Amino acid sequence: MLNRNIASEVLAEATRTGGDFAEIFLEDKRSHALRLRSGEIETVTSDRVHGAGVRVLNGTKAIYVYTNDTSREGLMRCAAEAAAAIRAGAGCKPIGFSHWSAARPDEIRLHPEQVKAAAKAEKLRAVDAAARAVSPEIVQVVANYVDSAQDVLIANTEGVFVTDTRVRSRLGVSAVASDSRENQTGSASPGASMGFELFDERVDPEASGRTAAEMAHTMLHADSCPAGIYPVVIDSGFGGVIFHEACGHSLEATSVAYGLSEFSGKLGQPIASPCVSAVDDGTIRNEWGSVHIDDEGMPTTRLTLIDHGVLVNYMIDKLGGRRMNMAPTGSGRRESYRWAPTSRMRNTYICAGEDDEAEIIATMGTGLYAKSMGGGSVNPATGEFNFAVNEGYWVEGGKIVRPVRGASLIGKGGEVLQRIDRVGRQVVLAAGMCGSSSGSIPVTVGQPMIRVSSLTVGGK
Amino acid sequence: MNQLDLFIDRVLSAAKAAGIDPAEVRCSESSDFSAEAMEGSIDSYEVSNTRSLSLRGVYNGRMGGASTEVFDEDAIAMLVRGVQESASLVESKEQDEIFPGEKEYPSLEIPQNDLDTVSAEEKLAFCLEMEKAATAIDPRVSKSMGAYVSTSVGASRLANSYGLRLSRQVPPGGMAMAGVYLMGRDGESTATDGEMKTGRQFHAFDPVEIGRSAAENTLARLNASPVSTGVYRTVLRWDAMRSLLATFAGIFSAESAQQKLSLLAGREGEVIAAPCVTLIDDPLLPGGVASTPYDAEGSAARTKAVIEDGTLRTLLHNRKTARKQGVETTGNASGGATGPVHVSPTNLFLKPGVKSLPELLEQLDDGLLITELSGLHAGANPISGDFSLIAKGFLVVNGRQDRPVEQITVAGNFYQLLKDIRDVGADLEFRGRAIGCPSVDVGTLPVSGAK
Repeated sequence: MLNRNIASEVLAEATRTGGDFAEIFLEDKRSHALRLRSGEIETVTSDRVHGAGVRVLNGTKAIYVYTNDTSREGLMRCAAEAAAAIRAGAGCKPIGFSHWSAARPDEIRLHPEQVKAAAKAEKLRAVDAAARAVSPEIVQVVANYVDSAQDVLIANTEGVFVTDTRVRSRLGVSAVASDSRENQTGSASPGASMGFELFDERVDPEASGRTAAEMAHTMLHADSCPAGIYPVVIDSGFGGVIFHEACGHSLEATSVAYGLSEFSGKLGQPIASPCVSAVDDGTIRNEWGSVHIDDEGMPTTRLTLIDHGVLVNYMIDKLGGRRMNMAPTGSGRRESYRWAPTSRMRNTYICAGEDDEAEIIATMGTGLYAKSMGGGSVNPATGEFNFAVNEGYWVEGGKIVRPVRGASLIGKGGEVLQRIDRVGRQVVLAAGMCGSSSGSIPVTVGQPMIRVSSLTVGGK
Repeated sequence: MNQLDLFIDRVLSAAKAAGIDPAEVRCSESSDFSAEAMEGSIDSYEVSNTRSLSLRGVYNGRMGGASTEVFDEDAIAMLVRGVQESASLVESKEQDEIFPGEKEYPSLEIPQNDLDTVSAEEKLAFCLEMEKAATAIDPRVSKSMGAYVSTSVGASRLANSYGLRLSRQVPPGGMAMAGVYLMGRDGESTATDGEMKTGRQFHAFDPVEIGRSAAENTLARLNASPVSTGVYRTVLRWDAMRSLLATFAGIFSAESAQQKLSLLAGREGEVIAAPCVTLIDDPLLPGGVASTPYDAEGSAARTKAVIEDGTLRTLLHNRKTARKQGVETTGNASGGATGPVHVSPTNLFLKPGVKSLPELLEQLDDGLLITELSGLHAGANPISGDFSLIAKGFLVVNGRQDRPVEQITVAGNFYQLLKDIRDVGADLEFRGRAIGCPSVDVGTLPVSGAK
């Protein structure tokens, strides 16, 4: 993608005025997307993202300049502009490159660029048929297929010169149920770092269609969720979004480095109930949020975040590491060359516990069983989070009595972690997209079923 | 003719030679700058020059599309192959068309800017001064979460094989933003807030004034607590009302209505809101960020009332939705670069009334002023209109703003809320966005808070 001599030249130009570190991130990404709506293939598009960013650091000062022009001249212009913004500093002596490829072509059996679009369209038709078969009240089904192959090259003044290819495929289903007065939606969106073999090995399009349609149908016939403070059981899989939002973001260097996180300065201290252990693991083969190297060229890692309630690690990128005086953890990620990298999650989940799933509900008394979670957001400084419950059930005396809709969960991360009183045995992971200061990136959330002894439930 | 125009012509010729006819090219370019100060030094600094191009066109009777950020001969070949492949698979019966173009387009007032005259040094100094001013006001709000300045100028082109060549600035006159965010601490209480300004005249921004306002906003949020669960008389401040309107703006799209994703289908002419509600979509708004003389299909843009005095006058249309319903397009086509043309509002705003925010609170007597709604992507269902959102704001006692409130949710249904609106304030604000609102008295909302 880029000649080593040109890379050296660009890095030398970037550090000419005293920068103590410089980096080039170059990418070429081809993606292919199909959408089915109203039973017909509505769009088929191919997109190409191509560009490069030059980053120069001087201590904790960071300059980032990016462009679509990846010619020698284009990159040299970026380097010169970045150098001009640095003006003075300790400077650095670039180390000679040690060239390697992080790509693992053996992980991908059916490269999506070699699969005919017609075969991709068939999967969407299967989704549509299965979803509509659930009920005549299913009035709309939108099914999306998207795959991408991203080639990256990362070179820096510390001798890194590494290339990688990231291949991902994902299905997305949204079903709408209507009784002509009201509409409710249900969704499913499985994905993996895989090619088209995704559909042989992991994802049954018909099952995804049914899941989305059943959720929409159930919620159409649900009552409003009561509001108040109740015990809440959050199911495995995408339920892990509670941990992602309420805790994960607050453990990223982006928030921790400036003391802006409620978990700043708490390494080695208990921050969660002793039944909670959690990891951020970029190494899981073929998982949606996995990477071989991070977007700063560092090999990925498996990082324990919380060990039996005790905070043991933060997720740290290079710049965050400089600010915190700690080593990076392979956590530097970005959406594309249009973003400077920062500390981000990969596959983040609560580890398996020892509690029986049936007992967790049977002993909860009256409260909410959140079977399927929607998205959410968090303010890392205060730990305040909120997220939607896509599919919820009301529980009375330990028995599920009826579906409820319109529920949301709000609270503060630190408080919720302390109030987890049950952790189930079966961990399930789920694919998601996470938006933050370096763009929207693929991440995995996950957990076994957990119970929070009391949480504010928003409803009517 | 510059290089980009020549490249666009080459793409159109290659498309025609490959049997893609008619064809259309969109191209956008943007130059952006942003810098942020943190704790007394410049912490990040970003400069970019980017462009992208998309081709769509009819091949064997079907529309296909593809896009690229590479501008060379290989990229042209990839675009052409992409369009051919896409056209071969698409099966929607309702096909988009490529509109040859209007005879005339409205003229748009382009606001003057001073962005070319501001050096990077000046912007960096501004960040530092704004942060210093903000953190010096009160020791309880002396921690900065970042003081930033950003500027953006861009352009977009629309060209087709019928010979149409249009171009516009995006946004017209460019845009600058300056803001600072603070973290406040008082005993056990933590709060974050800030201030931001937008405009085309960088020299009109006052770093000390923005800093002071950020500090005051953050101070006001300290020592907030929930209110008891119950039903409250509620005013949504302009920013909270705007985030709600932005979340539910899709219900005014004829496309959503025709796909049964909006409950407003077929209800033109009916009363759907309180008599004090008038909702306007104005692409020709002077200074609007979404102002444009033409829409994504090349139709002429025009100003219209969507809701007038509570009555739904029109939904927003592109050419396809208008044809289906037997009406004229409203010039609200969006998207369509590589996929189908959709519908979006341009500058969409609630027409302001006459009362100030304090006057709205006075007539509230006791209740809540909501200043921030979050979790809109999760807690609001744009199809059913239901929402249950985490909220912040202030208690209102005897018609006056009282203590800060947090950790509550407000719930409701947007369709019902439109009917329940009792009064619309005079304080219309866009603050750099395409959607604007004044503060609104929404009647009563159920609130979930402390037991």
